[in-house]
Amino acid sequence: MQNNSLSEVPHVVAAERMGGVPRIELRGAEKCFSTRGSEVQALAKIDLTVRPQEFLALVGPSGCGKTTVLNLVAGLLSPTSGQVLYNGAPVTGLNRSVGYITQKDTVLPWRTVESNVGIALELHCRNVPASERRDRVARMIELVGLKGFEKHFPAELSGGMRRRVALARTLIYEPETLLMDEPFGALDAQLKLLMQDQLQKLTHMAKITVIFVTHDLSEAIALGDRVAVFSPRPGSIRTMRKVDIPRPRDIFNVRFSDGFSRLHEELWNELKDGIAYGTNV
Amino acid sequence: MRPHSTRVLLAWQAVVFVLMLGVWELGSHLTDPTWTSRPTLVAVRLFELFKGEIYKHLAVTIGEIAMGLVLGGVLGSIGGLWLGNAKYLGTLLRPIVVTLYNVPLVTLAPLFIVWFGFGMQSKVVLVAIAVFFVVFFNAFSGAQKVDEDILESMRLMGATRYEIFVKVVFPASMAWIVAGFKIAFPYSLMAATTGEMLAARDGLGSLLAKSAARFDMTGVYTILLVLMVIGMLMADFAVRSENYLLRWRNAKQ
Repeated sequence: MQNNSLSEVPHVVAAERMGGVPRIELRGAEKCFSTRGSEVQALAKIDLTVRPQEFLALVGPSGCGKTTVLNLVAGLLSPTSGQVLYNGAPVTGLNRSVGYITQKDTVLPWRTVESNVGIALELHCRNVPASERRDRVARMIELVGLKGFEKHFPAELSGGMRRRVALARTLIYEPETLLMDEPFGALDAQLKLLMQDQLQKLTHMAKITVIFVTHDLSEAIALGDRVAVFSPRPGSIRTMRKVDIPRPRDIFNVRFSDGFSRLHEELWNELKDGIAYGTNV
Repeated sequence: MRPHSTRVLLAWQAVVFVLMLGVWELGSHLTDPTWTSRPTLVAVRLFELFKGEIYKHLAVTIGEIAMGLVLGGVLGSIGGLWLGNAKYLGTLLRPIVVTLYNVPLVTLAPLFIVWFGFGMQSKVVLVAIAVFFVVFFNAFSGAQKVDEDILESMRLMGATRYEIFVKVVFPASMAWIVAGFKIAFPYSLMAATTGEMLAARDGLGSLLAKSAARFDMTGVYTILLVLMVIGMLMADFAVRSENYLLRWRNAKQ
C-alpha cells in the first residue's frame, strides 16, 4: 500500500504528508489479557492502515478481536506490544477525534430522545448555539427514523430504537473518525438497509473515516471500501479485500451485482474456515 | 386488585381510625382526663390554636426545617457526589465522615445552642446536620454506581470532568439523592422539634415542652397531632417529587 510506504519516510514534504499520513495505523499491535492467572492473546500482532475517509469493514466470528481493534483506536486500551497511531501520532489516552458506537447501551436513561441526541452539541468543546442545536437534532432524529419519539424516554423505546438514538447522538457531531461495533445488529432487515444507506451518504458527505465491525458479510461488502476478514484465537486479519464497487452505491440493490456475489462467495469461504476453526478449538 | 377495592380499603381504614378515637374518648370518660385528655378536647384546642397563636410557631418550625433541608441537602448532595466520584479523595475522607456520623445527633444540640443561641439558627444547623449525613451517604453510593460505560462514552465525546459531573454523575445519582431526602424528611422534623424542646422561645417543639411542663396533656396531644400532619404532608411531597424527578424511570414501553 502506497500510504504505508509514505508514512514511513519521516522527511516527506508537509503537503504530501497530509495526504499520505494514514488516519489510523496499527503497527504490529498486539493485545493480551490476563484472566485468572493465565495470559490470553486477544489480538495477535496485526498491521492495519486506514486512509482518511476510507470505510473499512471488519468481519469475523465473535470473540476474534474486532472490538479490541476499535478499543485500541479509541484509546480505551493500549497495546501490549506494537503501536497504534492516529494521524501519525501514537494514541495515548482517550482518542477524542473518534466517535465510538459500542455494543453497550450508553444512552442516558434520564434524557428524552431529543436531549440524548443533542448532548454532544451541548459540550463546551463544540459549543453549538441552542437554535442550531435544535435544527440539527430535529434533522438527525428524522434521519434515523425516530420522528414522533422526540419526547420519549429510552425506557419507552425498543432495543433497535435505542441503538438508533446512540447512532444519531454520535453522527450528529460528525467526528473525524467513526468506530462502529455492530451498530445495526438489533435492527430488522428493512431498517438495517435504510440505516446503511443513510450511513453511507452521511459519512461520505461529512468525509468521515469509518471502521465498521459486523458479523454480517453482506453488510460489510455493501458498505466497505475494503473488507477485512478476522479469524479467532488469537484474533488476526485472515484476508483483506478491496471492494471494487463504485460509489455512491445503491445499498438496496448492490447485493444483486456480479462483483458483489463473487466477493461474497470468496470471503464467505474465508469466513467459514475461521468459524469452523473457532468452534473446533 | 378489583377496581373498587382501594376505596373499600380506605373506608375500612377510616372505620378503624374513628373506632380508635372512639375508644380513646370513651376511655377518657371512665377515668381522669387530666393524663389522657380526649379527642373532643384536642379538637377544641386545635380550633383555639388556629385562631392565631399557632401560626408564629408553625412558621418558625417549618422555616427551620426548610432552611436546614436546603443547607444540609445541598451540601450533602454535592459533598457525597464529589467524594463518591473522586476515588482517592473518597477513600481518604469517607471514614472521617462515618466517624463524625457516629456522634448521636441530639447530643450535639446543647453545643449548637451555645454557639448559635436560642433562635432559629441553632435549630437550622441541627436540621442541616441531620439531613447532611443521610443525603451524603446516599449521594456517595449513587456516584460510585454510575455506569462506567456511560462515563467512557461521554469522555470520548469530549466532555470535561465538570460536564460529566453535571450531565451524568448528578442525574444518574438522582434516584439515590431522592431516596436520601425521603429518609431525611422525618429526621429533619425530629431534629427541629428536639432542638426547640431543649431551648427555644418559639416553635412547635417549645410549645410542646411548655404544655408538658404545665401537665397540659391536651396541649401536648394537639401539638403532636399538628406534627403528625406536617410529617404526613412532607412524606406526600417526597413521593410526588420522586415521581416527577424520576419519571424517566417509571416510563414504560
